[in-house]
Amino acid sequence: MVKMLVPYPDRCTGCRFCEMACTIAHEGKINHADARLQVHRRNVKVDFPSVCTHCVSCGEDCCVLHCPVDAIKNIDGIVSVDEEECTACGTCVEVCPFGVMRMEEKAFKCDLCDGDPTCVKFCPMGAIKYEEPKPEQYDLVKKLLGEE
Amino acid sequence: MKGFTGKILKIDLTTEKNSVKTIDEKYIRKYLGGQGFAVELVYHGVPKGTDALDPNNVLAMAAGVFDGYPVPTGGKTIFAGKGPATGTLCESVMGGSIGAELRHAGFDALEIMGRASEPAYIFIEDDKVEINDARDLWGKDTRQVPELLKKKHGWDVKVACIGMAGEKLSRIACIDCDDRQAGRGGLGAVMGSKNLKAIVVRGTHDLEPADPSGLLEIALRYQKIMEAAPSFVEDTKYGTGEFLGWVNKEKGVFPTRNWQESVFAEREKIDPYYWATRYVSKNKACFACTKPCGKLFEVKSGKFAGVAIDGIEYETLYSLGGACGNADVESVARANELCDLYGIDTISAGVTVGFAMELMQRGIISEKEVGFRLTFDNAPDAVPRMIEMMGSRNGFGDILADGVKAAAKKIGKGAERYAVHTKGMEPPAYDVRGMKGHGLAYMTSTRGACHLRAGFYAPELVGKFWRWQGIDRFSPEGKGAMVATMENFMCVYDSIGLCKFSRGFFLIEKLPEVIKAISGLTFSEEELLKIGERIHNMKGNFNAREGVTRKDWLLPPRIIQDPIPDGPSKGSHITEAEMNKMLDDYMVARSWNKDGVPSPEKLKELGIE
Repeated sequence: MVKMLVPYPDRCTGCRFCEMACTIAHEGKINHADARLQVHRRNVKVDFPSVCTHCVSCGEDCCVLHCPVDAIKNIDGIVSVDEEECTACGTCVEVCPFGVMRMEEKAFKCDLCDGDPTCVKFCPMGAIKYEEPKPEQYDLVKKLLGEE
Repeated sequence: MKGFTGKILKIDLTTEKNSVKTIDEKYIRKYLGGQGFAVELVYHGVPKGTDALDPNNVLAMAAGVFDGYPVPTGGKTIFAGKGPATGTLCESVMGGSIGAELRHAGFDALEIMGRASEPAYIFIEDDKVEINDARDLWGKDTRQVPELLKKKHGWDVKVACIGMAGEKLSRIACIDCDDRQAGRGGLGAVMGSKNLKAIVVRGTHDLEPADPSGLLEIALRYQKIMEAAPSFVEDTKYGTGEFLGWVNKEKGVFPTRNWQESVFAEREKIDPYYWATRYVSKNKACFACTKPCGKLFEVKSGKFAGVAIDGIEYETLYSLGGACGNADVESVARANELCDLYGIDTISAGVTVGFAMELMQRGIISEKEVGFRLTFDNAPDAVPRMIEMMGSRNGFGDILADGVKAAAKKIGKGAERYAVHTKGMEPPAYDVRGMKGHGLAYMTSTRGACHLRAGFYAPELVGKFWRWQGIDRFSPEGKGAMVATMENFMCVYDSIGLCKFSRGFFLIEKLPEVIKAISGLTFSEEELLKIGERIHNMKGNFNAREGVTRKDWLLPPRIIQDPIPDGPSKGSHITEAEMNKMLDDYMVARSWNKDGVPSPEKLKELGIE
């Protein structure tokens, strides 16, 4: 089984270190809005990370299905954007149920850091783990997102 | 120069005009960032003799050097202004994410002047700056305000706001962001006096560190160091109150029942070792903190069912717990929640309630005046009830809403004898009768009695710090120079924007590496300490200019006249001679005159005008 990012909202402290680590590892700069995962610090009770599930839990709201030019592909369980084909139309950003598809000149997204995810490394609380996908954890995040 | 944005945004609420001041490397070498920037803005921006609640007061907000960058526990935002509680230059630090967001919007600091004609909030979205109508937010608490503003502007904006206490100009009102507070000194009332309910920021710009991969390596290295330290387990399991039992049993310096005792006999009921497993469902962190001491504390049943707070911190366990004789942890949590919602500092609020309780114990105030039994033995009911009255300036709460000094003056009848404060600020949770250098630090702290301007509790309780060994907490010897040095350190940490709980990991000599990775600028340890000294001298000189000198620094009668009655520190107190000796030593160490005024030579040496 391919390992995935798995979010554990009850362990998230809302510190947002993972977002910073994500963009500095990828772009050498910090921009929370460009992070390929998002921490929601809603109120005193609720903090949670929202991550890309690489087709595991998106259902019909799937960037792969909706991309009008088939620029997003799932190859062996890893979803990636083909920059050559991407027209930056923004459809994937709109449909992404976890709000983690990103767009600048082209769409971009979580690449699992080639099997050593930076966000996981920088979360000492275990709020994001790299392990066998757990659909129930993704459902938990979807429910929390639905409340916003 | 990387790391910094090089811009300070200035907003005048009276004229509704804003401007941008650019800063260069010279400015950074002089003031560093965070507290240094905020203090500079207040020092040069507030005209002499300005009342803290006058429109001419300045409210500064600044991001620490590390703020916005991935440095573990380096996400602090610093507020400053002339403080309503003391009339001195007051800074207050919070772990909310608004400072980092401001940096993403393109500014290292914000200076707010003037007064809006109607309740207003500031909305900053990168270059766009708006002053918006906040009449519908007036009267709302610190959880309602961000909720309403996020509904309007999007869930990703960051909101710093005041509660009702700040609107009502309570001199112990705080500023809230992300359930974290810039608590001390009443800066919430400065916002209130400006008719400013909230500051809302969305920043979308990139932050580019000078050495991204180096910074990431530093971050991981420090994170591992922190995770391996015993304090990681303590903080994540029990929070800052972890050592409450130790401070009581081993050291006997936990001020209890308005400092009438120094060991809280019922402490086990408010000790995190008791409550963490029963009430805490998860950890809460400041922005960029990978070593969270915050706890989501929830009460699920009983009289206080529904209470949910980020707490309870050590200081609050003292102020709303021990200082009031309150051994009901659910009541402490409820009082903490009310402080947060109304937006008042838990330390000052709790100490003020404990003070009033002693007054009732001594017959100086009556049950009739107050409206109910405000007594130590009735604390579980009385504390939350009085906090609510203070937050809304209701009944007797109006008298207590400005802290002990103002309350003692209003009450008269010798109440001042029992008011524990320096410069008008209520003290934190260390009985300085048994830690004399920390007593000196309560006096020399530029914002009034404070454990964090020098952080001297740690060297005295542990007996060592940095390059010092064998520190005797009962002795006044050598404390003047040590406290002065520690104050300089702390000015550096608050300029860096680093959590003071991490000072043991990031000793002063460790900082240049991190600063360089962020900004590309090379600083030596000596340069950093010189900046710290400069910042402290600016605060000292501001205070002297406002007429606050040595005569106003002195310890209250309780510390001088009433020895600790029992426990491991029994019999100890700071005598008048010891107090004066420590102050004399301190002035020499600072090159200040006997009255606590910085010498012209020292100011010149530090380039302070």
